[in-house]
Amino acid sequence: MRLVSKVASIAMIAIFALGLTSIPTDAAAKKYKIFLSMSFIGNDWQAEAANMVKAMALHKNLADKVDLQIQVAGPNAQRQIQQINAMVQAGADAIVVYPISPTALNSVVKNACARGVLIFAYDGSISEPCAYNISIDQLEAGRVTAEWLVKKLDGKGDIIVITGVPGVSVDTLRTKAAKDVFAKHPGINIVAESVGMWSQAVARTELSKILATRNWDSIDGLWMQVGCYTANAMQLESGKKPADLMPCAGEGANGGRIQMLPIGTEVEGASSPYAPLNAPRISYASPPYSGGYALKLAVAKLDGKDVPQEIVLPLPIVTNETIQLCNEGTWAEMKAGCNAFLPSIVPNPGWFASIFSENTPEIGLNGALVGQPEL
Amino acid sequence: MNSSATEQAVKQPNNEFPKKRMRLGRHRGLIIALVAFTSLFLLVDIISPGPISYFEISFLSSGGTTLALAAVGETIVILSGGFDLSAGAVISLVNAVVASNMDPTDMNASVPLWTFIGICIGALAGAFNGFFIAFLRLQPIVVTLSTMFIVQGITLLVMDKPGGFVSPSLGNFYMGDAIPEFLPMSIILLGVVILLWLWIKNTRFGIGIYAIGSDPESARSTGLRVDWIRFGVYVLAGAFYGMAGVFISAQTGSGDPLVGNPLLLQIFAAVVLGGARLGGGRGGCVGSIFGAYILMMVVNVLLVLNISAYFATIAEGVILILAVLGSSVSRDSILAQHIRDLRSRIAAFMAGTLPRKLGSKNTRLKLPGITDTKGQNNTVVVPGFLSRHAETLRYALPAYICFILVILVTQLVLGNALFSWNYYNSLIVLSSFLAILALGQGTVILTGGLDLSIPWTIGLCGILLAGMVKGSDEALIYALPLVLFIGCLIGVINGLGIVFLGISPIVMTLATNGVLQGLALIYSGGTPDGFSSPMLRWFMTSKDYGVTPVVFLVALLAVVAVLLLGRTPFGRRVYAIGNGQRVAELSGINVDVTIVLVYALSGLCAAIVGVLLTGFSGQASLGMGDEYLLPSIAVVVVGGALITGGRGHYLGMLGGVFLLTSLLTLLAGTTLPYATRAILFGLVVLGAVIALRERRT
Repeated sequence: MRLVSKVASIAMIAIFALGLTSIPTDAAAKKYKIFLSMSFIGNDWQAEAANMVKAMALHKNLADKVDLQIQVAGPNAQRQIQQINAMVQAGADAIVVYPISPTALNSVVKNACARGVLIFAYDGSISEPCAYNISIDQLEAGRVTAEWLVKKLDGKGDIIVITGVPGVSVDTLRTKAAKDVFAKHPGINIVAESVGMWSQAVARTELSKILATRNWDSIDGLWMQVGCYTANAMQLESGKKPADLMPCAGEGANGGRIQMLPIGTEVEGASSPYAPLNAPRISYASPPYSGGYALKLAVAKLDGKDVPQEIVLPLPIVTNETIQLCNEGTWAEMKAGCNAFLPSIVPNPGWFASIFSENTPEIGLNGALVGQPEL
Repeated sequence: MNSSATEQAVKQPNNEFPKKRMRLGRHRGLIIALVAFTSLFLLVDIISPGPISYFEISFLSSGGTTLALAAVGETIVILSGGFDLSAGAVISLVNAVVASNMDPTDMNASVPLWTFIGICIGALAGAFNGFFIAFLRLQPIVVTLSTMFIVQGITLLVMDKPGGFVSPSLGNFYMGDAIPEFLPMSIILLGVVILLWLWIKNTRFGIGIYAIGSDPESARSTGLRVDWIRFGVYVLAGAFYGMAGVFISAQTGSGDPLVGNPLLLQIFAAVVLGGARLGGGRGGCVGSIFGAYILMMVVNVLLVLNISAYFATIAEGVILILAVLGSSVSRDSILAQHIRDLRSRIAAFMAGTLPRKLGSKNTRLKLPGITDTKGQNNTVVVPGFLSRHAETLRYALPAYICFILVILVTQLVLGNALFSWNYYNSLIVLSSFLAILALGQGTVILTGGLDLSIPWTIGLCGILLAGMVKGSDEALIYALPLVLFIGCLIGVINGLGIVFLGISPIVMTLATNGVLQGLALIYSGGTPDGFSSPMLRWFMTSKDYGVTPVVFLVALLAVVAVLLLGRTPFGRRVYAIGNGQRVAELSGINVDVTIVLVYALSGLCAAIVGVLLTGFSGQASLGMGDEYLLPSIAVVVVGGALITGGRGHYLGMLGGVFLLTSLLTLLAGTTLPYATRAILFGLVVLGAVIALRERRT
C-alpha cells in the first residue's frame, strides 16, 4: 500500500515538474539545433560570454537558422560529459562548449564527432583533434604582460604576483610564461605570490594578507591575472596619490580600463575608485566574445563553409597609449578604436571590457550586457 | 531523528505483519531512491525524442559510475558515524598519478595492474585518514579536511595542469560491453561492488560498521575492536575512491588535477538521497548508487525540459528536495508526525488541556545552592576558574597556542608582525568574515546540524545590498535591515524544511544554496550592479588612527556570542539539543523552534558577511561567498567544537578563525608554490587538532 502511494506521489511530482516548463515544439524543424554547454554561471565572465552567445543567436543573420539551448554543467567535468552526451542524444547539430577540462572531455567529444556533431570549444581548448578550438594564446598573454611590466620597471624592482585558479591550463600557462620572462631579468624579485582565483574579491583578500606584513612603498609593481582595479583602489585607500600608482599588468575589467584614462576625462557615472586615474596599466583578457564567435563559426560550418580547426584569437591588449572611452559601445564605435565603457552604462567595474572582435559585427555592448544583438 | 527507529522497535508485537512492515521500513531509503530513479528515468524516456537505445543506457550507466563508486565509499564512512571530505581530492590524485605515469606508447597497458595501483593509492590515503581518526581519535571532519588539502597539493605536484595519457585498454575495458548490445561493463562493475558490499555487510567487520555507527560505546562494550574497524572503514572507503579514480581515468583517457574536487558535495547528496543517515548506523551502499544516478539523471532532465541556465540550479535544488521528500509520504515520517502533533495540539487547545492552561505552579526542584546555605560554608565549595572551565580550555587553547606559534613564524619569515599593530589590524579585518560566520555555523554545528547554504546567502545578500544602495549612504538605512531580514528569512526556510519536512540539514541547505544561486543570477541578470556606500567602505577599509572600524565590531561580536551561547536560555537549549535531541525534547525544550532560530541566526550571520564583503570589496560579485563554506566549518572544529554537536565554545572558534587567517596570511606573504602551501596548510591544521583528540573512555 505504502509503496503504491509513494509511486503515485512521485508520479505526481513528475507531472508537476513537467507542467513547470512547456515542452519545446518542433515548429523549428529546419533550424540547426545548437546547444551551449557552459561550465559555471556564477561569475561575471561566464555570464557575459553566455549573453554574447545569446545575442549572436538572436541576430537577424542567424535567428532563423539557429535553435539555441543553453545548459549549465557547473564546475564538474563529470556532469559536462553527461550533458554533452545528452545533447548528442537530443539530436544536436553542433555543440558550443566552455570546456571545464581540456582533457576530460576527449572521449565524449570523440564520440560526438563520430555521430556527426560539431564541437566548438571557446576560451579553453579540447585536446581531441576533431574539436574546433577558439581561444587566445595564453603563453603569449603571460609573456607580453610580463615584458611590459619589466620595461615599466626598467628591469628592476620588487613585484607581487597574483595568479588564477591552480591546476587549470590557462593559469599554469600564463604564470609560467610570465615567470620565464621575470627569470631573465635578475633585477626583478617576486616578493610574494598568491592565488587570486580570477576574482576581484579574492584579489583584495590576498593583497590584504600580503600587505599585513608589508606596505605599498616596499613594492614596485604588480603582475595579476585579475585584480589591478582592486589593487589601485587599495593604494588610494592607503593614502597614495593617483600619480603614485604603481604599474600593474592585469585583466581587462572595465573598472581598470576607466582607471587608465587621463585624470580629468569627463566620464558619466564615475566615482572613485571607478574613475579616471591615469593608472599605469597593461590590460588584457580572454575575450568573452569567443563564445558568440564560436556559435557563428559553427553555423558557418553547418552551412558548408570551411572553418579552421584551431583559431587563435588576437590578444586584446590595451595600454595607456591606446585607451579610449566609448560613448554607446556599438560595434561600429568599437571598431573605430574605443575600448572602455561608461560606468553609467556598465555599473559593475569587474565587468570584462574586451568584447570587440573584427569578426563579430553582430554583437556590441548590448550583447554582452543584456544579450541583445546589434541591429 | 532516532525516534522513529525506537518507536518502531517498541511498537513491534510478535506477529507476522509488522515484522514485514519493519523490514520494508528499514529499507525505506533504498526504496525511495529506487522509485525516484525509476521515475526520473521514465521521465527522460517519455519526453526525449525517440526510444532509449542500448547505446544511451550504456552511456548513462558509465556516466554515473564514478559518482556511484565514490558514494559507496562515502556511505561506508557515514555508516560508521564518520565523515570524509577527502573523497573528491583522492579521485583527482589517482587520476593524476595514473595519467602521468602511464607510458604513452603502450596502448595495451594492463588493466588489472593499473586498477590495483589506483585502488592502493586510494587505500593509502584512506589509511592516513584512518590512522588519525581511529588511533589518535581525532574528529573525522578535520582530519579529512586536512587530508583533502594535502592530497590536493600532492596532486598538483604530480600534475600541474591537465594532460597526461591513459592507455585506451583501460577505456575499452571499463567503458566497453560485458555482453555486446546487452550489458555495459560499468553495470557489471557496480554489480560486483554491490555483491562485495552485501558480503562485507554480513561479515563481523560489516556488522561492526553498523554497530559503531549506531553506538560506539555499546560496540566497545560488546568487545568489538572499535579502533580497527574504524581504521578499516577509511581504508575501504579510500579503496572505493581509488576505484572511482581509475574509472574516471578510463572514461576520460587523460588526467586533470581538478577533476574530482567538485564531486564532493554531490557525493554527500548521493549518500543522503540513498537513505543513509548522517551520524551513522542506518542505510546502505545500494541506495547511494541509485542516489548517484538520480543526481546524474538530473542533467538529462534539465536538458530535456530545456530549463534555462539561470533556473538550472533552482530546478536542481527543487528536484533534490522532492526526491528526499518522497520519504514524507509515509505514516511515520517526520512530516506526518508533525501533522499528528499539530492535530492533537489543536484538540488539546479545544479541550482546554494544554499545559499552559492548567494553571501555573512553580514545581522546580530545590537544589542545595549557595543561597540556601547561608552560614554553612562547608557544604558547597565553588570550584576555581580553571577547574570549572577545564573542559572548555582544553579544547579552546590549542587553537590559540598554534595561533601564537604562527605569529612567531611570521615574524621570523616575513618580519613586521609581532610588534606591528598594522599586522594585527589586517588580521582582524580579514578574520571578521569568518568570525561572524563561525557564530552562525558554530551554533548550527552545536545543535548537530550543518549549514551549506552560506555561500549564496552571502552572495545574494551582498548583491541585493549593492544593488539597492548604489553608493548612497542614505539608502543604507533601509537596505541594511532589509538585507539582514532576508538573511534571517533564508535561515528560517532552512530551519522549517529541516524541522517540519524532516529533510536532513545537508540536503536542505544544499538545495537552498542552489535556489539562492538561481535567484541571485535572475536578480542580477548575470552581472551584479551597484556598489557599496562610502560609509560601508570606510567601515571596512579606512584606518583612522590605525584602526579599521570593523575591529570594534569583531570585539563586540565576540562578547555578544559568548553571552548568547553561554548565558542565555537560548544558548543552553542549543547545547542541550546537541547533546541529545530526544532528551532535550523530553526536558521540555521546544526543539523545533530552537532549531529554526539557530538556522535563522546562521542566515543572519551570512547576510552580515555579505554586507561586510561588499563594503570590503567596494562592490558585490557573483560567487563571492564560495570561498567561505569549508573554512566556516573548519574554524568551528579547529576551535574545539564537536561536529556532532553539544560541545564547543565561541572563544575556541574565534581562536580557530585567527589561526587559519594568520596561517593563510603567512603563506600569502611567501613565494611558495600553491601545491606546497596546500600541503603545509593541511599539516598545520592537522597538527593543531592533535591536541584536541578525544580521551579514551
